[in-house]
Parts: sequence; C-alpha cells; structure tokens
Amino acid sequence: MKKIAIEQRPGWREYAESVGFDFHTFDGEPYWDETGYYQFSMRQIEDDLEAPTEELHQMALSLIPDILADEQKLIALDVPPAYWDWLAESWRTSQPHLYGRLDLAYNGQGPAKLLELNYDTPTSLFETGFFQWVWLEDQQMRGRLPQGADQFNSLQDKLEQAFASIPLRQPCYFSSVDGNIEDKGTINYLMDIASQAGIDTRYLPLEQLGEINGQLVDSQNYPIQAMFKLYPWEFMLREDFGAHLLTSNTQWLEPAWKMLLSNKGILPLLWQKFQNHPNLLPAFFENADSKPLGQGWVRKPLYSREGANIELIDPQGQRLVVDGPYTDAPFIRQAFTPLPQFDQSFTLIGSWLVGDAAAGIGIREDATLITKDSSRFLPHIILD
Amino acid sequence: MSNSLKRSKKAALILMVPTATLLLAGCGSEEPVQTAVYQNAEECAAFYNPPAECTAEFAKAQELHAQVAPKYQSKTECETDFGAGNCETPATAAVSTDPNAPVQQQQASSGFFMPMMMGFLAGQMLNRGGAGQAGSQKSVPTQPLYKSRDDQSTYRTASNQPVARQSGVTSVMPSQMQPKAGNVVRRGGFGAQAQQRQSMTSGG
Repeated sequence: MKKIAIEQRPGWREYAESVGFDFHTFDGEPYWDETGYYQFSMRQIEDDLEAPTEELHQMALSLIPDILADEQKLIALDVPPAYWDWLAESWRTSQPHLYGRLDLAYNGQGPAKLLELNYDTPTSLFETGFFQWVWLEDQQMRGRLPQGADQFNSLQDKLEQAFASIPLRQPCYFSSVDGNIEDKGTINYLMDIASQAGIDTRYLPLEQLGEINGQLVDSQNYPIQAMFKLYPWEFMLREDFGAHLLTSNTQWLEPAWKMLLSNKGILPLLWQKFQNHPNLLPAFFENADSKPLGQGWVRKPLYSREGANIELIDPQGQRLVVDGPYTDAPFIRQAFTPLPQFDQSFTLIGSWLVGDAAAGIGIREDATLITKDSSRFLPHIILD
Repeated sequence: MSNSLKRSKKAALILMVPTATLLLAGCGSEEPVQTAVYQNAEECAAFYNPPAECTAEFAKAQELHAQVAPKYQSKTECETDFGAGNCETPATAAVSTDPNAPVQQQQASSGFFMPMMMGFLAGQMLNRGGAGQAGSQKSVPTQPLYKSRDDQSTYRTASNQPVARQSGVTSVMPSQMQPKAGNVVRRGGFGAQAQQRQSMTSGG
C-alpha cells in the first residue's frame, strides 16, 4: 500500500458536473482529489481487505438473533420498545438488504481493524462505484497508468445485480431530505443503476410522504409499497411519522433490522462475542461507572455520522474532539488504533458490501485522525 | 480494457447523463375532450340539455361525491381549503342526497369533513350519438366539482384539477379527470431530525 502522485485529468471537473457529481468540491475545498492515488497489491486486497470484510459482515449478522432475543441488548442499543416486534419481524421474514460499508484502519500490513459499520445510510457510493472507475479507465487511456492496473471496485456491477435479483416491489420510491445535494447525488446514482436493472423508480422527497389509514402514500396518494430511504432509521423512529412505519405495508431498503448494525453499540457486542478477533478493537458500552476517557481510547455516540461527536485521546495524551448534533444518545468506548499517515494525511478505507459480498473500497483522507464529511476522497489501483 | 475480476465490467449511467434525459420527454399525444360543467341539474337543463339526463348525471356525481371528496380530520382544516360554511360531514351529505333514506344514515360518526359539492362535470352529456370525439381515447367520467376558498370562481375536481371558470361547455384532458378515492391524508413525512441537526447529510 503506497500513495503515488499523478497528473490530474484535464477537464475532470466539467466532466464530474456533466454526470451529476456536483459536490466534487465542498466549500472551496476539494472533496474528490485526484492529485494522487493509492496502490495496493492483489494480496493486500484479497487477504487483508476483501476476506476480512466478508468475515466481519457475517460476524455482525450473527449478532442479530442474539440482540432480538435479549431485551437488555435492545435497551443498550437504545431501540424504542414500540418498534421491537416490528423490527424482529423484518428479520424473521428475511427482508432483503442492499448494501453497507465498513470503515477500516489499515496500513498495508497486519490485520485491518474495524472502526465502525455504516449499514443504514452509507454514502460516497458514486465516487467509489462510478467516478474512480472512470478515473482508472481515463488514466489508462492517457497512458498514465499501466494497462495491467486493476481496481477493487465491483460496486456498480454488484448493485445492478442486486436490484435485478432482490424481490423488490414496484414502483420503488427513492427518497432523501429535500434540498440536500450530496444525498440527492447518491439517490440519483442508485436510481440510475436500479433503472438499468429494470426497476420502475420514482423520486419522492422524504418530507412529501403522506399517510392514509396507516399506509404511507406518495404525493398523489398512491400507496408506497417499496422505498429506498437515504435517511437514518433512528431518526425515522423518533419523528411523528414513525408510528406509521408499524402499520404501513411498505418494503424498506435498507430493511429495519439493518438499524441494529449501523448502531455503534454493535462494536462492544462484537467484542463480547468475538473477543481478540484480529480485525476487532476492544470496545465497551459507557455507563454511569465509566471513568473519564483515558489515553488510547475513543468515545463515540451510538448514533453518529460523518465523524460527528467523536472524542479521541491518543496514546500520547493528545485530545481531539469533533462537535456535532448527536449528544442525546448513549456512548461507547473503543480502543484507539492509529490511522496510517501518507503525506501528512490520515487515511481511512471504506470497504463496501452489496448483499453479503465484498464489493470494493473507497479511500478517504483527512488532516486529522477523525474522518469527516469534508475528508477528501482518493482513487486507488491494484498493481503487483 | 482489462478482463480483471476486481472491478465492474462497465459503469454506465443512463439517467444522470444529460442527453439521456431526453428519453423521458415527450409523452404529449393526448388530445383535449369536450365536456360540460353545471352547478346542478336545473342549470344543466337551462343549457337546453334533456332534463332527465341532467338529473341522472347529477345523481351520478353526487354518488361519487362521498367517495372522491378530499377528507379532513377537522372542520377547520377543511374550511381552510374550501371556505367557511363550505364543509360537511359524509353523513349529512348522505342525508341531503336522499331525503327519503331513513335513520340508517346515523353512521354519522365517520368524524371526517369534506367540502360541499359546488357543481358537476357532465362527462357523458356531449357524447350523444356515439363518441362525439372521433375515436375518443379515454372517456371523461361524470363527477362532482368543488371550489377552493382562495379561488371561488373556478370549478375543480376532487383532486384539485381546475376545470372551468363558468358553467357550460369546456375542454379537458381526460387523463386529468379520473376520479380517485379521497382519503384522509396526513402530510409531513420524515426529515424533522435532519432539520434540527441542521447542515448535516444523512449519509455517513
């Protein structure tokens, strides 16, 4: 694993905008960054990332029956009791799931360490599945990268296969918060792939959902039988419309049971069940007896995205805190593991799954140890 | 191109690429159809239509009224959309429809409010002598019409499609005149938490 500088493709910004990638630059700072790329060996990809991703995924799935059978665990994960039966039903009836992303700390050697699971609303999908794929093809065409270079990125192929094979009711609505362009970009990409798989897709801003006799309906009052929502389950359960989830005959992507795995509480539960697994970091629920955060520990809220509300004290005692809006849920503690540093930047690997299969990686860089929504996205290649 | 296994074989976009959006345009082959709008059966007859047909069409529209009218949980909500004194409950509507119907209409407890019918679309009135419109694609069903609080001069369908500003003959697009069941709708959906925790994306 190494980072290599490369010439940017002329006109890539115009190209990005022409395919709807409007958020390639955020607040004047680059988000898509192709001034460099990461290079992995095939062994690193297959042995250190692909295989552990699928293994960690199976370990996480194995926790779901444990959680559903144990009220203490549901309470620890802060799942509102009104939804327990409904949630269990989504698992018992094997509601299909689409995708997820593991965040891994990996420096090219030794086991990758699981930092967290983003199993409900993972983003950076378009950058990974489409834009870095095109980047590789372009750079090969321009002779800047060898023809033999490959990429760990079957994300779009696998998503298309998933949409074609998941028993999905139609039309399938795709929904996100009105006015959020990054979320809409992800939704557009998923709708595009679903359409290519032959799915009848419709967009509906989340705010425009209606309800008739307990059934969720679209703006024309047609019942919504299937919906992909890019919005956290933990929010939906706590909003006024949440009660309608219990009565509405709607198939959800991701299904309700996915909320258990996108909860940071899954990290201590994984550690309890698979203690000392090489890809896991020690993790515990915080409680009233927990001591103040010590050196070499990280504190994360159960629900948090984009690095928000994370507090970290490295082994040298240096403290790093990211503010955010998630102050109202319980916290967990996780042992600190360093992110590798390349050119002064800290590097995090997002490892994707479609269904239960590993489907590729996307790389994020940040000036600090906490990866955030502003962290840059860099492409990668495989070359031996 | 390589024949490797680690990346997608293709990465095509069909909707996100601007030129592809042209595929979605242009489904405008529908033609307007002539029909007529009246306040009630009497007005219909005054426009030199056969009184018996007027009465029959009006009754048809009234029958549909309870089914298709938009429904509200409170009178206030209904009057906000249709004006003070212009709302009723389904039961009183039923009573006024058929003064001979006895007490069985007491199922007034529906608790819903809906706007009063302000007129009707006489869908079949002008189709005498067989399909007034050559090969008329889709027929226009006879149905009740309403007037909203902020626009008392326009007849509208139950799904808020404007139809005409005065009684008499008018043209409509049949596809926009298909009655649907009018249910009690709550709007609002999801998104409140994202607003509270503003300036964040929902993904991670």
